[in-house]
Amino acid sequence: MSWTRLRRALGIDTRQSEYTYQKDLRFGHITSARVADKWIKTTCGYCSVGCGMLVGVKDGKAVSVRGNPDHPVNLGKLCPKGLSEHHILDAPGRAKHPLLRKDGKLVPVSWDEALDTMVEKFSAIQRRYGNDALGVIGTGQLLTEEVYALGKLVQLGFRTRNSDGNTTLCMASAVSGYKLSFGSDGPPGSYKDMETADVILLIGANIADNHPILCQRLERNRVRNLNSTVIVVDPRVTKTAMMADLHLPIKPRSDIALINGIAHILIRDGLIDRDYIARSTTGFEAFAEFVSSFTPEHVAAVTGLTTEQILRTAHLYGKAKAAFIGWTMGVNHSTQGAVTVTAINNLALITGNIGRAGAAPFSITGQCNAMGTREAGFTSSLPGYRKFDNPQDRDDLARLWNIDVNRIPTARGMAYPDIIEGAVTDRIKALWFVATNPAVSFPNYSVLEQALRSVDFLVVQDGFHPTPTSDFAHLVLPAAIWGEKEGTYTNSERRISKANILVTPPGEARPDFDIFLDLAERLGAKDELYPGWQSTHDAFKEWQRVSSGRMCDYSSFTWQQIEEEGGMQWGGESLYTDGVFPTHDGKAILHTVPCLPFFEQPNAEYSLILNTGRTVEHWHTRTKTAEVEMLHHMVPNAWLEMNPVDANRLDLKPHDRVNVVSRRSSVKNLELRITGIVAPGQVFMPFHFSETNSNRVTLGSFDPISREPNFKQCAVLVEKFVKTLH
Amino acid sequence: MPLPLHERAQDGSSDAIVRVTLADLGQSFESTHAASSLLIPDRPLAEGEQYRFHFNMTKCIGCRSCEIACNEQNGNPADILWRRIGEIEGGVYPNTQRHYLSMGCNHCLDADCVKGCPVEAYTKDPVTGIVLHSADACIGCQYCVWNCPYSVPQFNAARGVVGKCDMCHGRLTDGLEPACVNACPEAAIEIEIVDKIAWRVDYAAAESPGMPAAGHTISTTRITLPPNSTTKLERVDVGRINPEHAHPSLVYMTTLIQAATGSLIFALLCKATQPVFLTLLLFVTTIALNISVFHLGRPAYAWRALKMWRRSWLSREVLFFGLFFGTLTAFTAGSWLMALPQSLTTAIGVPWLHQFQTLPHTALALNLLGWVAAFFGVAGTIASAFIYLVPARPSWNMVHTPIDFVLSGALIGSTLPLTLGWIAQQLSHLSIFRSMQLSIDIHRFPTWPTAIAATFCILNQAVRIVRLNYSKLFEERATAGLLNTQNIRPAVFASFALTAAAGLLAFCGGFGFATFAAFASVLLVRYLFFVSVVPLNMALTFTGGGPHK
Repeated sequence: MSWTRLRRALGIDTRQSEYTYQKDLRFGHITSARVADKWIKTTCGYCSVGCGMLVGVKDGKAVSVRGNPDHPVNLGKLCPKGLSEHHILDAPGRAKHPLLRKDGKLVPVSWDEALDTMVEKFSAIQRRYGNDALGVIGTGQLLTEEVYALGKLVQLGFRTRNSDGNTTLCMASAVSGYKLSFGSDGPPGSYKDMETADVILLIGANIADNHPILCQRLERNRVRNLNSTVIVVDPRVTKTAMMADLHLPIKPRSDIALINGIAHILIRDGLIDRDYIARSTTGFEAFAEFVSSFTPEHVAAVTGLTTEQILRTAHLYGKAKAAFIGWTMGVNHSTQGAVTVTAINNLALITGNIGRAGAAPFSITGQCNAMGTREAGFTSSLPGYRKFDNPQDRDDLARLWNIDVNRIPTARGMAYPDIIEGAVTDRIKALWFVATNPAVSFPNYSVLEQALRSVDFLVVQDGFHPTPTSDFAHLVLPAAIWGEKEGTYTNSERRISKANILVTPPGEARPDFDIFLDLAERLGAKDELYPGWQSTHDAFKEWQRVSSGRMCDYSSFTWQQIEEEGGMQWGGESLYTDGVFPTHDGKAILHTVPCLPFFEQPNAEYSLILNTGRTVEHWHTRTKTAEVEMLHHMVPNAWLEMNPVDANRLDLKPHDRVNVVSRRSSVKNLELRITGIVAPGQVFMPFHFSETNSNRVTLGSFDPISREPNFKQCAVLVEKFVKTLH
Repeated sequence: MPLPLHERAQDGSSDAIVRVTLADLGQSFESTHAASSLLIPDRPLAEGEQYRFHFNMTKCIGCRSCEIACNEQNGNPADILWRRIGEIEGGVYPNTQRHYLSMGCNHCLDADCVKGCPVEAYTKDPVTGIVLHSADACIGCQYCVWNCPYSVPQFNAARGVVGKCDMCHGRLTDGLEPACVNACPEAAIEIEIVDKIAWRVDYAAAESPGMPAAGHTISTTRITLPPNSTTKLERVDVGRINPEHAHPSLVYMTTLIQAATGSLIFALLCKATQPVFLTLLLFVTTIALNISVFHLGRPAYAWRALKMWRRSWLSREVLFFGLFFGTLTAFTAGSWLMALPQSLTTAIGVPWLHQFQTLPHTALALNLLGWVAAFFGVAGTIASAFIYLVPARPSWNMVHTPIDFVLSGALIGSTLPLTLGWIAQQLSHLSIFRSMQLSIDIHRFPTWPTAIAATFCILNQAVRIVRLNYSKLFEERATAGLLNTQNIRPAVFASFALTAAAGLLAFCGGFGFATFAAFASVLLVRYLFFVSVVPLNMALTFTGGGPHK
């Protein structure tokens, strides 16, 4: 040992063996450490773009990731998170053993003890306080097969209705908006539309940071059609705004006014599709009447844009042969998120920009399998886009599952924020979080913390430990993650893709699916809930039967086909190609959407509007990406963006350490970035970092329809950070 | 290298993971595609041509996939990035512009890393023009790190050698895209062919905001900038300037060897080159040279540093200081021989030595040998100064550097001999030296040179700081800024105070204290010299990343 050290100190040994290159059979010349024995096809487990990848495995270890050149989503390209995804599998922060809190300390226990305790505690609490005293928060990180299994376990096994997903923090507004306009969830378009549309209108969507692999669609569109126009609506000059032909820097939360204003101009200037309106929509007269007050002058005053910008946008959209609207969290993360989505849908409907190539109002989703939770989940609706309040749907399911129809609830239980509030107000006495980290991701942290401390029993099931949430847990269940289990993810464009096993989980960690089956067994409900199930493939086969004949019909795809084809889209490339919608009369509904100011307006004391968002190097709450050294090294800490005008006023300099203070709490010791990326009067910070958690200051205010939090606007003040001695 | 690459590129029907990317990011590779739509050259290189990177800033979305792909390709630690992303920004909201740079090595026509390398670890590949680095040949002196205006070569401390982007030479040879080219989801990076002579005449397309001027080394990377931009794009990382590595071994090495050279000259001038004194001087030199060897990432191969003496100032420094050591050793040995008493030469059986001692020209020859040693010392000091005169490190690349090196030699060299002489005097009273003529009169040494040297040292440093402060170059002003930071400013004041103290103490006869003050002041000045340099570099990102160590 010391001999090696001496040889290294003298430079005789330069670790040359670690820095040799070899020829990988399929990838070619590369450092020897990345040469694989075999390459396994799979789908990325980060975001909803759903990139196809090939993972190189050697001696039971994932050594390399490459984009799958044959996959129709990404044609071989990946973002930095995807390219380094193999590093999360053997990261030091993985949860490896079940841990139970005994005498205040989390200590390793056997799976038997862990799951018996969990069932015992949950049952005792439910006996005492009622079945609905258990709240369960699932996730868009699970496989569709697992989501489906979890729904049955929670609603039929544990018999609580109070179950929701972390997807409520993300795309619930899009779901609600689609349901309001079209009668059903389901993004009507495809990524391909971004290549063929003449106008691409992105509203509150910073795809360059959050869905970077979609940007190549815009690039290909430019090559194909020199006259295509990309319009980005965003109060911040994002990376995506930089790519736009036209950037509309609107005032925060004035997008409804802009959209209504565009509708007004389209109607005024005859740029609408009257046939389509008559054939496929209802409510046009009331809608036209309503938007008539959104004159360009009025809209200019509300949005801060010029009337020329508004007119140009309306005319570009109205005259396009095919126009595409994409949106993400700028729209969804709001108390008016659901209705903003319907306003967007209105634009598509009155111009007939739906149901054909290049034309769609398209919600770009967040997590790798957020779509799977929408389709197969048993939270805000019944599996297969079925409705709680539809007796036919309930009967259908009861028959398919061979259970008494009265077992199926007639209304959804509490949504995520209501479950948290329920924990604070003692209506929820036990909580179970599956693969999510609310201690960083949930708004207004102090209430969340109170909820976590209030419940009698808190179970955190995650691939990583410790996380800021698992620190509060009474029981930690170590779960397998992406790359350690087999099943399907569905991406934003309804493409079902296959995720495969690359390696075995570390320590005693088990796939979430196995944990669900084991719990069902211990509840004595396995035969009923999961008859004859051994693997996720059995769950898939049942889900195929359950989804058969529904809009999200999986029955015609086998796992093998899905893998070979690089994923398959249910509903084809476009939904609603016949102009018929799943409403009672087959027509889409035009809603009138007022534009209201956001809830917490700045005042003299809290004079700045805080906007939160992401950066390309990190994923959500960094339980994964902080473990990838390269990504961590690239962006090791959060920052606060502030316009030079405000910095000057507050006498702040670049790299100053500052606190962001709201009426609720404060984020301390942030690095200040003075930049023209944000408007005067606004500040921005990424939410990924638990050390400087933006959700200490964000607002606990939720959309009345979708229950999605208003992450994007709250009033804050910024002050210099002063080191204090404790 | 077998070319053209295009023919070797793998087609869409093979199961290779990496296929050549089409410039329009299209679906699949078809032979009917125009060759120009690929991201690697489609024809062999002709005479006078080489490969280069083309970076299209208008396509880059700053996703950083290239950085990850590069590290995965080369198996580098997370903090060593052979490809780096930079941000540049300008304009007023909402007309703000932000763009990105993605840069590997620029494979310059006049690469300074190649010229400076003392061991020929760098070669400019005669076929492809790629600047290749051999970890095998490298001794880890890191002189290339100082020389490159883009801070491209990075020292891997765990290995003891430097590394850098080689344009994925091994992949290109196989007709495969470099890792960064292949990873870019926007086809913003490509490899193309450049006519070297034409490029030497007009390399304007290599210039970009956020990049050091291309002219010095003639970077070959072509950068497509946003068209018709009137917005002034500026670096966003300028507020994040941290002190550089202090290189303590170099601080000590340069100080000691300059002290030894200065002392030797002073002693020669004062005709006080007594053997014990010289032995002590030789001891100081030995320490200095040993430190310099262990400054290397690979001390075992220090001897290789002599190789490129025709080209590299580092080789020349090693050569001259090596000769200085040799001649000083000979001079010291000669002085001892001259001092041996007849009784001893007879006793040890070499009576002819005494005759040698009394030959008419021996003393003269020995004196000459002393001056030869002094010459090598001065030559080494000058070579040493030239190492730091590199355009990539603006605050070093000033006339003040060689002046400082010479004055440091004078400052310590004019006071150290008194102290060493005093020690020699004490030692010569030892019984074993009794029989020898070893008396040394330290009063022969005048004290005014120290005062003068101190005055000039202070003047040199003061003028340097003023010039840095008012410089047109950002990096020089940044150096002045660093010297003025809360942590460093006291050290600057202390260095001036110590220099003044050295002069005053010497004048007042406190030569021991004067020597101490002189050493302390030179060490401190040299420490500040190293930590306060702000190298030329490409623009990096606002938060973290890149080798800002």
